Amino acid sequence: MLKQLECSRAIAEVIARCRPEVVCAYPITPQTHIVEGLSELVRDGTLAPCEYINVESETSALSVALGASAAGARAYTATASQGLLHMAEVVYNVSGLGLPVVMTLGNRAVGAPINIWNDHSDAMALKDAGWIQLFARDAQEAVDLHVLAFRLAEELSCPVMVCVDGFVLTHSVEPLDVPAQDDVDAFLPPYRPVQVLDPTDPVSIGAMVGPEAFTEVRYLAHHKQLQALERIPQLAADFRARFGRDSGALLHGYRTGDADTIVVAMGSVTGTIEVAIDELRDAGLAVGAVALCAFRPFPLAALAGALGGAQRVVVVERNLAPGLGGAMASNVRMALRGQPIPVYTAIAGLGGRPVTRASLRRLIEAAHADAVDDLTFVDLDNDAIDRELARWDERRRSGPSAENMLRDARRAR
Amino acid sequence: MTTSLTDCVLALYEEHHELEEYQSGMPRWCNGCGDNAILTAVQRLCRDAELRPEKTVFVSGIGCSSRFPHYMKTYGFHSIHGRALPIAEGVKLARPDLHVFVNTGDGDCCSIGAAHWIHAIRYNMNMTVILHDNQIYGLTKKQASPTSPLGTRSNTTPRGSYLEALNPLTVTLGVQNVSFVAQVVDWIPDLVFDVLSAAYRHQGFSFVRVIQRCPEFQPGLHEIAMREPNRVQVLTHPRGLQLDPSLERVYKNRLEHDPSDLSRARDIASSTDAIPVGILYWNPEVPRYEQIRAPSQLRTPDKIRAGLEAELDKYTIWPDGPTATT
Repeated sequence: MLKQLECSRAIAEVIARCRPEVVCAYPITPQTHIVEGLSELVRDGTLAPCEYINVESETSALSVALGASAAGARAYTATASQGLLHMAEVVYNVSGLGLPVVMTLGNRAVGAPINIWNDHSDAMALKDAGWIQLFARDAQEAVDLHVLAFRLAEELSCPVMVCVDGFVLTHSVEPLDVPAQDDVDAFLPPYRPVQVLDPTDPVSIGAMVGPEAFTEVRYLAHHKQLQALERIPQLAADFRARFGRDSGALLHGYRTGDADTIVVAMGSVTGTIEVAIDELRDAGLAVGAVALCAFRPFPLAALAGALGGAQRVVVVERNLAPGLGGAMASNVRMALRGQPIPVYTAIAGLGGRPVTRASLRRLIEAAHADAVDDLTFVDLDNDAIDRELARWDERRRSGPSAENMLRDARRAR
Repeated sequence: MTTSLTDCVLALYEEHHELEEYQSGMPRWCNGCGDNAILTAVQRLCRDAELRPEKTVFVSGIGCSSRFPHYMKTYGFHSIHGRALPIAEGVKLARPDLHVFVNTGDGDCCSIGAAHWIHAIRYNMNMTVILHDNQIYGLTKKQASPTSPLGTRSNTTPRGSYLEALNPLTVTLGVQNVSFVAQVVDWIPDLVFDVLSAAYRHQGFSFVRVIQRCPEFQPGLHEIAMREPNRVQVLTHPRGLQLDPSLERVYKNRLEHDPSDLSRARDIASSTDAIPVGILYWNPEVPRYEQIRAPSQLRTPDKIRAGLEAELDKYTIWPDGPTATT
């Protein structure tokens, strides 16, 4: 049933229907509304039994979830940006210990400079921590992915991060369907942990493993990701059969069939890309798009299949890997290894800068004519950068760049 | 007319800055926020103590109060959530000549940065630390903080918080090497100024908890204490704070407390009868980290050469074999 809801509220409601037994909360924008919503649902008894704990930092939030999960409870937390980086050590531990914690990441830029708006720097910083990473295209998929995430996590004993664009999705208000309790219960069986605290079968968790077995233990993390490659399409099909909509996949293709140019992206920007694709199709350009849902595991084969017929690929990504370009594009190139298909990297929408339909059209048109550089920055103000570089050249003590650029931007206005 | 370099330097030292010269930008805090009272007192302190803007730095973490450095026309560092204290320690180590102030909130200091708080007290570096304690997370819009009173209803504690509030004074007074602890309330501006001045003058880690109002997310929390002056107990002593006669008429609940008495300071800090205001503990004898780590001998070229030679002699191979060296 559709209800007019803020996406964060709908996520809180669907998490409650997944019946977590421990929820760890620490506020950080733009994720805060989710844990606030859950606190209300625990208070009014909608989510019971559940221990809801306010902790003192993100490291504690995930550490408490780790302890709870290791003791056999279904555990959930949510964070964003600096919060994810603060808990980074625990992020690796959760996956290393094979604990199926589910975490929502309200994607936000990582400072400095301080910025609360959306991009994917946070998720990319921890892309190789052994967690499954699923990216939502829209608010409805953001809601649905959580149900899928718990099932996937618990089947594989592998944590899942559900990435939801901060503000653009977390704070959007629109008609959303929160899966009904009966359906969620049917889709998501009760948690059966692979390890519990059992006095008849005592175990110690957290062994020190030397060179004799470390590689093999770590390989298992990779093995789980390979298993996830198989399970995600199957679970998405199960989800479609029960809930009647396409949510979750390795990737979603859009008008790729006869496309010469295919744009690859993740998250909410894929909606704008699809509109731009429609307009360009109307103008006679054979273009299409792929929205990656799974970034870890990275769907090498599925993506190679989707892109195989293209003459070129444009990766639009909301992150910057300084010194390389984009974290996504290098992965996409891996999928196309051995094929003579150029992959252009377009960095767009950092720190919440809107990625407009007009900018995307210009980018895709230029790429379609092979008239873009390997690495391009969408809507970059080159003049502002030149002025700051000139300041660097002018004097050694040129001051903090962020402040200089802000002053410069104010003057330019 | 020409001016010599010496005259310029001397003129620089006589330079006196007005209040406006420490002010920067229009604070973005809510109306009635206690941060405004702290800002005013600190700017007054800078003027009266004649702090040179280029010799003064304000370091903050993240939170409402951590916007503080933006409003001071001095050096400022709006840093990372919970990390104001270690970042300030780094600044102090690199630039011991700077007056270092730290602005941190109850979330920044007592939650996410609590581990640093304990160790910063122990290092006892010379810096003035202001705990802006509004007893709520304000920047993320109303979630209970560790210092929120038991039963605080907030967005993450809709049934009211379950835990007794953490007492920053008893925590600080319980750490080895504590050297200066004071408390003040934002609604007595003269005392805010007096206490912060004493904290600034202390050579060591001075910790001042300012109990401050948050009209937006903790409205009315201190209403009774504001209306009934006897709810505030002013700690006075010839070696501590001396109350201005104009305030004596209002604040009659006073306690003579020798700030060198740590045990009594702990008792006062634990008391829940009234809000203790003033200097709870002051011990100028506690060694500062800078002193402990300062080299005891002057590093003259001769001493450095002698040390290097002794080190290199260890690897000398004597022609008569190893026995000759034993």
